[in-house]
Amino acid sequence: MIVLQELTKRYADGVAVERICLEIDRGECVFLVGPSGCGKTTTLKMVNRLVEPSSGQVLLCGEDTRQAVPFELRRRIGYAFQQVGLFPHLRVGENIAITPQLLGWPAARVRARVDALLELVELPPDEFRDRPPGALSGGQQQRVGLARALAAEPEVLLLDEPFGALDPLTRDRLQQAFARIRRELGVTVLFVSHDMVEALLLADRIAVLDAGRLVQVGTPAELLAAPANRSVAELLSTPRRQTQAVESLLGGAA
Amino acid sequence: MRDQLLLLPGYLLAHLQLCLVALAIGTLVSVPLGVWVAGRRRLEAPVLGVASVIQTIPSLALLAVMVPLLASLAGVASALGFQLRSIGPLPAVIALTLYSMLPILRNTVTGIAAVDPALLEAARGVGMTPWQELLRVELPLALPMIVAGLRTATVWVVGTATLSTPIGATSLGNYIFSGLQTRNNSAVLVGCLAAAGLALTLDQLIRVLEVGLRTRRRAWTAGAAIVLLGLYVGTAFSLIAGSAAGRAPVRIGAKTFTEQYILAEVLAQQIQRETGRPTKTLASMGSTVLFDALRQDEIDAYVDYSGTIWATIMKRHQLPRDRGELLEQVRGYLDSAYGIRLVAALGFENTYALAMRNRRAQALGLHTLSQLARVAPGLEIGGDYEFFQRAEWAALVKTYGFHFREERSMDAALMYQAVAAGEVDVISAYSTDGRIASQGLRLLEDDRGVIPPYDAIVLAGPRLVREEPGVIAALRGLAGAIDARSMRRMNFAVDDAGRAPAEVARDFLTTRNQPPETASRASGAGGVSSSSASR
Repeated sequence: MIVLQELTKRYADGVAVERICLEIDRGECVFLVGPSGCGKTTTLKMVNRLVEPSSGQVLLCGEDTRQAVPFELRRRIGYAFQQVGLFPHLRVGENIAITPQLLGWPAARVRARVDALLELVELPPDEFRDRPPGALSGGQQQRVGLARALAAEPEVLLLDEPFGALDPLTRDRLQQAFARIRRELGVTVLFVSHDMVEALLLADRIAVLDAGRLVQVGTPAELLAAPANRSVAELLSTPRRQTQAVESLLGGAA
Repeated sequence: MRDQLLLLPGYLLAHLQLCLVALAIGTLVSVPLGVWVAGRRRLEAPVLGVASVIQTIPSLALLAVMVPLLASLAGVASALGFQLRSIGPLPAVIALTLYSMLPILRNTVTGIAAVDPALLEAARGVGMTPWQELLRVELPLALPMIVAGLRTATVWVVGTATLSTPIGATSLGNYIFSGLQTRNNSAVLVGCLAAAGLALTLDQLIRVLEVGLRTRRRAWTAGAAIVLLGLYVGTAFSLIAGSAAGRAPVRIGAKTFTEQYILAEVLAQQIQRETGRPTKTLASMGSTVLFDALRQDEIDAYVDYSGTIWATIMKRHQLPRDRGELLEQVRGYLDSAYGIRLVAALGFENTYALAMRNRRAQALGLHTLSQLARVAPGLEIGGDYEFFQRAEWAALVKTYGFHFREERSMDAALMYQAVAAGEVDVISAYSTDGRIASQGLRLLEDDRGVIPPYDAIVLAGPRLVREEPGVIAALRGLAGAIDARSMRRMNFAVDDAGRAPAEVARDFLTTRNQPPETASRASGAGGVSSSSASR
């Protein structure tokens, strides 16, 4: 579905992403993880050309994205990010309706789609459709952001820490909602996160980046069983240690 | 007061036209320019800098400088096949447009720059084109800021537009300028209140429009938009109707003092009476602005003074001995150099003269300018705005060796109050001023004959001379019609009795055209003969 070939981004002061190769199958959810500044966000943004690659290419359904008009490409790809970026002068429903409207969907279809998406992200449409985004809590805004990314029925979803900056309870509920939505829609997802627990729980496969290079790709189980090097092992050590601590606490209580 | 209110629709409409056109152009230029430079560091600072510099030019100077600027472009324009008017609404609109730009430009730049970068990333992320990003995200979010700038500009422009009067554009400033000169406080008051009212009205209309747009109150938006559009359509229609309505009126100019207002009315009413042609009076224009305007056929006629032409236009110093000889030289020069016709000498002189309070002159034993020169270092002199720049003053200084303790420029109307109150010792008076007698002033004799004769002369522009012999004939009918006494009486009626120049002019022409016995009765009633009686 998505193929990254030798994808590279150089800036004046150095290389952000170096010759990354990665294939993501239809319906698969792949996480990009790694320490801050490892190039995971840059890699993600090169897929919908918010960042233009210096060299290498991205194939989407076998088609070279360099041949596409950037804004047309982005209308086919859902995109949500940590700051959400809901337009404050538009209501919740209008924020979700943007991409379908840009694509020229008929008004009735847009309305139906907005309500269906609000249902999907568990915000009752009649209550939320006409609210200004400023009146929503952080978690509700993230839900609307996810609904907006899904609005034009994209086959591919790019998510850049969409559940960041949320309290653990809200975050957990949103993660569960996301897992359900992904199953229902069968959408292909590339997901950037610095939270290894999130990655282990939600990913089909995890791609670990370090200093702009791809270090290891594998299922959560493969990574846990055989980390490729010390940095991957370190990334996994925190969830492992926390899990053990919680288990021993639970064991002690039983 | 009722007379003043009758003028209101015309002045208000003209004022509105200037403001609406200037604000529309200002907005259409500044908003796109602001959007374009926002975030481009290399452009932003210089563009805002230029706008700020324009803003620091005093508004009156900015308006005034447009006249010579456009006049110098007029040649280029006529070579390209169109006519450029250097006085009237065009320079006013250009200056007001420039003046409106800074607040709109600055607020647009600030408003666009303040848009959260996350929203721009979101806009691109959902697949907007750069134009959609601008129109659907950046401009709506910057709108309150931009509108705030537009409202500031509106209030400035409506206020500043009152200063378009001296460059020949009718505005509410006509009330203020002529009211100050003729000490007609109700005219000043009407002008100020109307300008303030207009500023507030436009400001609130724009506010309602913006709030309506932002909070999506259809009724508000539609209401304000309809009123604003109505104003635009209305003024545009009246502009078109005005220019299409048959022949253009004969335009009569006037400088910025009482005698000129009265004489412009005398000329205008004489033309109406004799030819039935409509007239338009452009009052309160600067002296050289007027001459340039006449030369370029932007006005058709006005009254000037032979000595002024001699000194400031012909730039001569050596005076002919004789008043008649000077008149002939001026007539010949104007005709050959500019095609301007000296139609008639009105029959009186209004010379610049230095005047002092009678009692003060007596105490110092002064009768002549030579005597004044000896005590000048201990005295202060006041002059109108032009006086100390004029060739006559230079000639006086050169001949008599004047050196006053201080030279103070002030409004001509205030000058008389200043000398009466003893705030200055000597003033540059006009010999026909009614206040010389009423304020107990003494004119000092020009014993070395420096100040040229100042015969009041009616000048007609080249177009009028070529195309409208009837009007010229009507004006020639005024030759010798006004002696110094009549002029002084008319000046007094306006300055001290508080009557309107148009009314005084009407009385004068009515009296003059009556058979001798009724005329003497009417003039016997003096300044009290009201306009209703003469109607």
